[in-house]
Amino acid sequence: MKRITIVISIAALLALTAMLPLGIVQADGHCEFADDSIKIGGLVPLSAPGAVAGGIAMSWAINRAADDINADCGIEIDGANYAIEVVIGDSEGSPERGQAVVERFILEDEVDAVTGVYHSAVGLATMGMLDENSVPTVFSEPWNDNVSANGIMEYDGRPPRNADGVDHVFRVSPASSMVGGVVVDWLNDLGVDNVVIIAENTDYGQPAAADEKARFEAAGATVTQINVELGTEDFVPILSRIQAAADTPDVVRVLVTGETSFNLTQQMAELGIAPTEDTICVTNQVAFQSEQYWLNVPDGNYCAFNRVGIIPSLFSDLAVELNASYFEEFEDIVPSYAMATYDAVWIIAKGMEQAGSKSDGAAIVAAIEATDLDLSQGRYYFEYGNHNPDLPEGTPAFMWHQWPDPVVTMMQYFEQGQSSLDAAVIFPQVYQTHGTGYIVPGTSP
Amino acid sequence: MNDSFLQWLLLAGPLWAAIGLYFLPRISPKRKRGAAISESDLQVAGVIGGFALGPLGIGIFYFEPRLIRRLTLAAGITIAVFISSQVLVRVSDPNLPSALWLILAGPLWAGIASYFIPRRYRAVEAIDTNALTAAALGGFAIGPLIIGLMWQRTPRIGREWMIALGSLGAWQIYTLFAVHNVSNPCVAAPYHVTYLTQQTANGVVIGSIYSLMAVGLTLIYSVQGVVSFAHGQLYMVGGYFSFYFLQYAGDFLSNLTGADISVNPIWGIPVAAVIVFVMGAVFERIFLKPMHEGLIERVSEYAILITFGFGFFLEYTTLAIAGPFPQRTGRFIEIRRFTLDRIHFSDDFFFGPIHIIGDRAFAMFVGIALIFALLYFLQRSWTGRALRATSQDRQAAAVTGINPTNMNTLSFAMGSMLAAMSGAALIPIFNWVPWVGAEMVGRSYVIVVLGGLGSVPGALVGGVIVGIVEALGAGCHPDPSRGAAYKEAFPLVIFALVLLLKPTGLFGREQT
Repeated sequence: MKRITIVISIAALLALTAMLPLGIVQADGHCEFADDSIKIGGLVPLSAPGAVAGGIAMSWAINRAADDINADCGIEIDGANYAIEVVIGDSEGSPERGQAVVERFILEDEVDAVTGVYHSAVGLATMGMLDENSVPTVFSEPWNDNVSANGIMEYDGRPPRNADGVDHVFRVSPASSMVGGVVVDWLNDLGVDNVVIIAENTDYGQPAAADEKARFEAAGATVTQINVELGTEDFVPILSRIQAAADTPDVVRVLVTGETSFNLTQQMAELGIAPTEDTICVTNQVAFQSEQYWLNVPDGNYCAFNRVGIIPSLFSDLAVELNASYFEEFEDIVPSYAMATYDAVWIIAKGMEQAGSKSDGAAIVAAIEATDLDLSQGRYYFEYGNHNPDLPEGTPAFMWHQWPDPVVTMMQYFEQGQSSLDAAVIFPQVYQTHGTGYIVPGTSP
Repeated sequence: MNDSFLQWLLLAGPLWAAIGLYFLPRISPKRKRGAAISESDLQVAGVIGGFALGPLGIGIFYFEPRLIRRLTLAAGITIAVFISSQVLVRVSDPNLPSALWLILAGPLWAGIASYFIPRRYRAVEAIDTNALTAAALGGFAIGPLIIGLMWQRTPRIGREWMIALGSLGAWQIYTLFAVHNVSNPCVAAPYHVTYLTQQTANGVVIGSIYSLMAVGLTLIYSVQGVVSFAHGQLYMVGGYFSFYFLQYAGDFLSNLTGADISVNPIWGIPVAAVIVFVMGAVFERIFLKPMHEGLIERVSEYAILITFGFGFFLEYTTLAIAGPFPQRTGRFIEIRRFTLDRIHFSDDFFFGPIHIIGDRAFAMFVGIALIFALLYFLQRSWTGRALRATSQDRQAAAVTGINPTNMNTLSFAMGSMLAAMSGAALIPIFNWVPWVGAEMVGRSYVIVVLGGLGSVPGALVGGVIVGIVEALGAGCHPDPSRGAAYKEAFPLVIFALVLLLKPTGLFGREQT
């Protein structure tokens, strides 16, 4: 008898323990959620050779957005509140792996929408699958122009995505050409003649380099392009080649992402190639993560970099809150791709609410096309899509389903160990914080 | 190309070589002024003299046969080099396939030589060690001349032959660059000497550090016969142990003194060494010892899988603990780079500047010092000799009182320790992430096979060769982008050639 009592007591205790989380939810929650949830797939790189740090930041942003939306009673459709359930998939930065994850998202997880994607190659490889399966998608970081242009343009021998009437893919990160235009305009303003571009051998690096090269050459500059593999650690033999050139370059432009750009920039500085009085160093946007940057590029003072996203001094309340939350987690400033990913989840959520459906792809796409939301990076809207399908002559194809207003600025460090919040914004002129378009190494603004 | 020269090369040269080969031994006086000339010497002289200078060459050797012994080899090679350089230089159209020789004739003659020469050596019961390599290198560099020479003389082929013929092959490639890629920094005068020196220095510096890691791998293999697939991850954790030690030691000292103190990364090396030594020893005792005690059936597969698993465990545990964000320690020395300023010998001839990054130079000296310390330990200490004895014959070693089980543990622990020290020496130089070992370990396998599995000096030389080949490959490739992209692939070409021509590696010994 005594034994039975003990067994029953233990069973009851276990049952209570198992029910505890539910109890907490019921106790703290103020929302009545529907039985089923809305699944959003987050396709991010969480393993090498992908940009793991970027993937973790994006994964954090998706979960943070889902938490915020759920705290606000989730997505309301036909009077029912649906909680968002996040399903994260690791793309490893590889197109094949990305396709496998998307296949799993569609067939096994049955996701209702997808966001994320850091690497352009993954975006290009998966956008067709997502479209064919009518999954509303908002990419938040791939830059390759074709990611959005393929909505209306043939790509890789295949018809444009909207050939069947609906294109399900949107993008809230800038296209490479939007960024390249700002960088080249700035350098042309400075009067550079001899440019060296070091570009990664990927679907991001190569088109971006081609675009910038064409712009430089159109302005009369001489361009030398060197392609490198992502993940390379030792760049010294390649950099020695630049150093041996008869003419010292006016600028070395780094079109290499992630950790690899840190190694490259540091070795460039160690060898005395750039930044110097004669040669401008333009490194990758990851330099904005100042904690990481100074740890890994201790000689990188006076390097300039392009910054995507609203400048810190113009952060909205939501951006400030997001930044504080990110800093608490990672002890660094929130990167633009985390902000964009956070915003992308909100865009999807509001699109579903507006469409009144979590599964009608066409209706959700139409609602997203009509988006007009103020989020962490500013006001979101999509100028061109099925609601406005005719791009005026001269408007690039990548403006299709593309958020047209990502702010792209050039920033520059001018003090060792400086926070990127204090770095100088040097271009465009309207955003300049220190009244100068370039700070020559060894000087102060 | 000059037509008459080409005709000579293709028709008249071989014709006169054949005439010389046939007639010179028959018409030449066998003894002149006391000098006995063998028939094979005369045949060689006939081939070389005939090919290079036609009837004039045959005549010279006929009238002055004493020259045959003294000068045949030197003259033959010199003339051959001269001829091939003339071929290359006379290719006036840069659009012609520059690798006419390199791609067609060189490999063709290398193939012919590799097929026939070793057979010749075996037929005359001469020592055929290195015959295949020498024949391939010689065929590639000099073509039919070296085949004739080796066929007739079947000389004993020592290391000097290999170096000479290998250098000739490299020289051929260099000459092709000089002719067809005149703007290439490796050949464009007057800066090319400086540039080549710079790239070679880059290669030696980084190669010496590669060597340290590879030495650990080769030590484990030589004693245990096991290739550790966790070596890259042990290298990685070595860097992390150094990083965290420096961080905590710096914080501790700063709190203690109230001043901002950072600890020099040199102190991270012994700390990482000790921790990973213990880790390696424990792993070996638990997971590899049963293998040597006969408790495991499929030993080879087990060794691969268990070390592979250990590597995965280390990588993902580190990812969970340290996170994916790159880390780096402070500098070894506060000198960003050493620069040898330009030295002007004349207005047109100068040397320099040469730049070596300060921390790399320091890490190189650390790497070399540790390798020599290891060599000293292996050669002079009782334990080192015991390790070597075990690597040569485990049973015989056991008979002399050496405990092979302990030697197994020691070798794995030491090998792991060397990988960790290599990591701790490189964390001030490269960004450190949990998967940083993947690329390095692949390179280590190339180095140990290149140098010879089980050979510590081989690993040292192999590492430096890999470093230099990578640097020169990336620096001299006509297309800078391809050079950069294929940087890690260039040593694989050498690796493949070594496997093909000298499977034991440069310093390896035959398995008995």
